[in-house]
Amino acid sequence: MARDIIGSVLILMGVCVMVIAVAGTFRFKYVLNRMHAAALCDTLGLMLVLSGLMVISGFTALSAKFFAIIVFIWLASPVMSHLIARAEVLTHAHLSEECEVIDNDDRI
Amino acid sequence: MKKDMWKRFSAWVNGTSEERGPLELPDTAVHHEKKKLFELSDEQKIRLFKAGYLAVAAVVCLAVVSVLLYTVFQLPLFGDPNNPAVNDVVERYVEKGLEETGAVNMVAGMIIDYRSFDNFVESSVLFLAVTSVMMLLLRDKNNISREEDIQEEHERIIEKEASDLILQKVVSMVLPCIMLFGVYVVLNGHISPGGGFSGGAVMGAGLILYASAFGTDKVRELFNMKTFKTVTSTALLCYAASKAYSFYTGANGLHTGIPLGTPGAIFSSGLILVLDICVGMVVACTMYGFYVLFARGEI
Repeated sequence: MARDIIGSVLILMGVCVMVIAVAGTFRFKYVLNRMHAAALCDTLGLMLVLSGLMVISGFTALSAKFFAIIVFIWLASPVMSHLIARAEVLTHAHLSEECEVIDNDDRI
Repeated sequence: MKKDMWKRFSAWVNGTSEERGPLELPDTAVHHEKKKLFELSDEQKIRLFKAGYLAVAAVVCLAVVSVLLYTVFQLPLFGDPNNPAVNDVVERYVEKGLEETGAVNMVAGMIIDYRSFDNFVESSVLFLAVTSVMMLLLRDKNNISREEDIQEEHERIIEKEASDLILQKVVSMVLPCIMLFGVYVVLNGHISPGGGFSGGAVMGAGLILYASAFGTDKVRELFNMKTFKTVTSTALLCYAASKAYSFYTGANGLHTGIPLGTPGAIFSSGLILVLDICVGMVVACTMYGFYVLFARGEI
């Protein structure tokens, strides 16, 4: 019973994070800002939801699979966001109009 | 009060809250006098287009929905004993499937044993697709121009300079797991959900990941045109030969001589494991082939 409650609270927290991420994705106008919000949903939100499911299912093989998913997503999702941001920075011709660029020469 | 808050929230989400003010359209009043009576201004045209678009979208949606609903009402009721006798096949699959194919995963038994011609032609479709892409895009001696060569060289330099250290490190950590998972899914096609197509897709995606992290030149060291041709054609021929054998013997009432094994073991269910491996090879090669042909024009 207590496990169910803790798990539900974790899942609800994850859903809250995802709602914030969705609102941010619509609120911001520029790619880098929107990505900053969208990356939340993939990493923190999914981790909270999956760890909630892990708590509910207990110490089983299913939990190990959830844990593997979390590890994979925490490896893959930040790298993916990094690559999208990098593609934007490399291909945007007038980046300094959109945001502050500290070192313009060393973009690669 | 509640509505007000909702409005303010939606304005905030849309980025049109009061602090910024709505976007002001340019004043078109000056140009209005010169125009004819029936000519519409740009703003009106846009509004008309939007309304028309919505109307057409609604009509299309309703048409599709009504066609689908009509079809659904034509179907026989689910579970009705008076339904037409098309259920013999299903009953046969459910009752005798495990005994005849030896596959615990009934879907694999159905697809790769009872209906393996289907599956064979699906793999051939992939092969045909990659062949036609090759005919159009492959850069051989009939399909080379100087500008393309220069552009290719340029792209190669960019790829080398822009190679990403973070991606490379993460890929070298993740890629073994991905490939191993692909092999696992292929080999367990007859025991658990999975099989040749899904496992092959996983392996092909792993190859694409490797190519996008380290460059296609690096992949060519272990997977070039020769291996591509050999693996794909060998797998398809192997599929065709083994299935032709089992159909020939089955049609003539002979025993195939292939043991079915105990259901649930890795080496069980006769030819399904072999055919799964063949399909997985074809699918992995095809996925990577598509990627690299569209990106570089050569495997």
